[in-house]
Amino acid sequence: MTFIDFINFHIVPGVVLGSIYAVGAIGITMVFGILRFAHLAHGDLATMGAFIALSTMGLFGASPWVGLPVAMIFAAAIAVGIDKTFYDYLRDRPKILTVMASLGVALMLRSVVQVVWGVDSTTYQRGIVRPDEYFGILLRDRELYTLLAVATIVIGLEAFLRKSKWGKAMRAMSDNPDLARLSGVDNRHVTMLTWAIVGALCAAAGFLLGLNNELNSMMGWHLLLPMFAAAILGGVGRVEGALLGGLIVGIAEELSVLILPGQYKAATAFVILLLILLVRPRGLLNGKVL
Amino acid sequence: MSALLSMQAVRGGYGDADILQGVSITVAPREIVVIVGPNGAGKSTAMKAVFGLLHVRGGQILFDGDDITGWAPNRIVKRGVCYVPQVDNVFREMTVHENFEMGAFLRKGDLDAAYDRVYGLFPDLRAKRKALAGDLSGGQRQMVAMGRALMLDPKLLLLDEPTAGLSPKYMEQIFTITRDVRDSGVSIMLVEQHAKQALAFCDRGYVLATGANRHEGTGAALLADREVAQMFLGG
Amino acid sequence: MELIGLANYAIFMGILIGIYALLALGLNIQWGLTGLFNAGIAGFFAVGAYASAIITSPHVAGRVGGFELPIVVGWMGAIVFAGLIAWPIGKVCLRFRSDYLAIATIGVAEIIRLVIKSEDWLTGSSRGITGIPRPFGELDYVASQLAYLGLVIAAVAVVYFLLERQLKSPWGRMMRAIRDNEAAAAAMGKQIEARRLQAFIFGAAVMGLAGALFVHFNRSITPEAIDPMIATFLIWIMLILGGSGNNRGAILGAIVIWLLWSVSEMITDRLPTDVALQAKYIRIFVVGLALQLVLRFRPEGILPEEQARQTAR
Repeated sequence: MTFIDFINFHIVPGVVLGSIYAVGAIGITMVFGILRFAHLAHGDLATMGAFIALSTMGLFGASPWVGLPVAMIFAAAIAVGIDKTFYDYLRDRPKILTVMASLGVALMLRSVVQVVWGVDSTTYQRGIVRPDEYFGILLRDRELYTLLAVATIVIGLEAFLRKSKWGKAMRAMSDNPDLARLSGVDNRHVTMLTWAIVGALCAAAGFLLGLNNELNSMMGWHLLLPMFAAAILGGVGRVEGALLGGLIVGIAEELSVLILPGQYKAATAFVILLLILLVRPRGLLNGKVL
Repeated sequence: MSALLSMQAVRGGYGDADILQGVSITVAPREIVVIVGPNGAGKSTAMKAVFGLLHVRGGQILFDGDDITGWAPNRIVKRGVCYVPQVDNVFREMTVHENFEMGAFLRKGDLDAAYDRVYGLFPDLRAKRKALAGDLSGGQRQMVAMGRALMLDPKLLLLDEPTAGLSPKYMEQIFTITRDVRDSGVSIMLVEQHAKQALAFCDRGYVLATGANRHEGTGAALLADREVAQMFLGG
Repeated sequence: MELIGLANYAIFMGILIGIYALLALGLNIQWGLTGLFNAGIAGFFAVGAYASAIITSPHVAGRVGGFELPIVVGWMGAIVFAGLIAWPIGKVCLRFRSDYLAIATIGVAEIIRLVIKSEDWLTGSSRGITGIPRPFGELDYVASQLAYLGLVIAAVAVVYFLLERQLKSPWGRMMRAIRDNEAAAAAMGKQIEARRLQAFIFGAAVMGLAGALFVHFNRSITPEAIDPMIATFLIWIMLILGGSGNNRGAILGAIVIWLLWSVSEMITDRLPTDVALQAKYIRIFVVGLALQLVLRFRPEGILPEEQARQTAR
């Protein structure tokens, strides 16, 4: 295998997949960092976002990309609603109970998807797309647009967190919640804002996965492990870390086929998760440990 | 002299047990009041009572004409009292300037004057405004913590052991800055382990023991008191 | 005839309830007693089931096994292998808050599922393992079912009494102290980790035993026999509804939830096919919702933990 083949067959798909993981992992790391629990319904919320985009596309009969902003808005609202209905009343109890509630929410979201959209696999667009060549690197349009979309999302989010008053409040809450409250930051506002952003990110991850792969009711559940591995690998609470972690997990999965049978691709994330917990639980960029 | 803060026979604690068994402390405008005492005397607890972090079961806390007994901390902040905890008192992953911005979170309008004031009080920090607070030395972090609290332009600043773990050089510097803060018109109540040094620099001091007042007076008078000196022998 | 059919069905249900009660008891060691979040119960159950199946079943070309060892050996194997899988996971994750354990157990259950599906030499992949011997299998149907029910009840009783004894021992008191006071737990450091690991492995071993009981009852196993998420979730709600921390609560929860689950299945099976599939998923939705309702309105369960007066957990 020549070097350029290696890039085209392993690294390019790894980067595309990894950038999708990253979008999901950023949401995980934000919930972990700011609200301080592992959100197990993250993947199934992504599934729901992907299917909302599908229905939007069907409604307007247009490019699937029309579905993305709509799905992001809907998923943001759903995430805020889930928090108000199922997580908020557990606020003062041990956080692990919220983790449990989120597992129940995962099941509920998935069954809604199964009732509304069925259990069969589907795609946004049919047909085979030939990749174009850019300096020897083969890239399909949808892959190129996926990378652009992820870049836009990450840059936009970073700008919000670094520059805006409420973005800073979110970082402050993640950094030192007691001091944030002493400074007059309203916890409820930050929580709501966090869920809105996280919901939108979930929908984006689900949509992009559906675009590059296929849609089915289990797609999000299978995203959960790589997303958590990416978030913890990067360092809990670190947005840049989740991006880095996502790319590493994605590339590692695509490289795993060189040494493991293909069906064990999904095991790669698990191995990375255990290894990082064993040797460096704070992650590559020194995040939090709960 | 009318007091800015007046704690009158305050009793209370975190759970069911009363840690404070009748503490009375007053702080006048533009005054530095130090609370010292042996471990477990209830020094920090007395300070937290002012800030509404304690279940107060008896006595009264008056601030600037209001009875603030039982108020929630965020209401007390808005009334003009800011609190600097002993540990975890900065946002480590945010820059010095962002820490100050967070301090002013509740303030609206032009903040230039407030920034000029804190950078004026802590000139060392002006050059480090883009550095992460977590990367600073212990003394500089303490300055960031004080600066953050001052951004809201409080009338009373509560400092919980600001010199804990600092070298003597930084301790002096913190005390000097505390005086500068007082001279800019803020009253200060601080809890100190380093009793001798603190009593030497303060305006007035209180010695607490087992949750109640033991001695009070000017710093110099307390330092001259034989009983007080004995309490802090070697301290 | 009708009556005999009903009685047979009751015995069948009793056996399954017993197996779920074992799973709930296993989870009670981990969650109720120690506060460990295991979201991969189905994985440990499957390991136990396959371990016992491989140890006791006759030879099949191309698959490891054919040991035809006594069933008791199979059960011991189920216990040991489920515990062995739990050990490294616990070792890595129990230093941290239980969130990490939840994720890791989801992962391990997923890997176990992949192995079962794809390793033909070990598990027979999609064909599964058949010809698994059944204790009292040589008796006629009703007698055999009754005998198996007796066996399952005996297993539940043994685990129950062992657990009750542990619960009242200094070990049990210490576990509860660790669970209820994170600060004290942290101060005790390394020793706590070892205790938590013990509890995690014990719980997993009991789940493995439940798997073995299931597989010898069924006489065969395929990857489709266990829906990981739903099985895991049913056991969680059994324990929470019954009363976590209380062994009798765990058993009661298994009875109540399994009856509701089966009755609702009978109802949805009678629906016309076009809505039956949707009804199946609505049923799962209701299970998820039920957990939220229990957490909200009766977090201590039907039979609350005895010593604990606090409502959390």
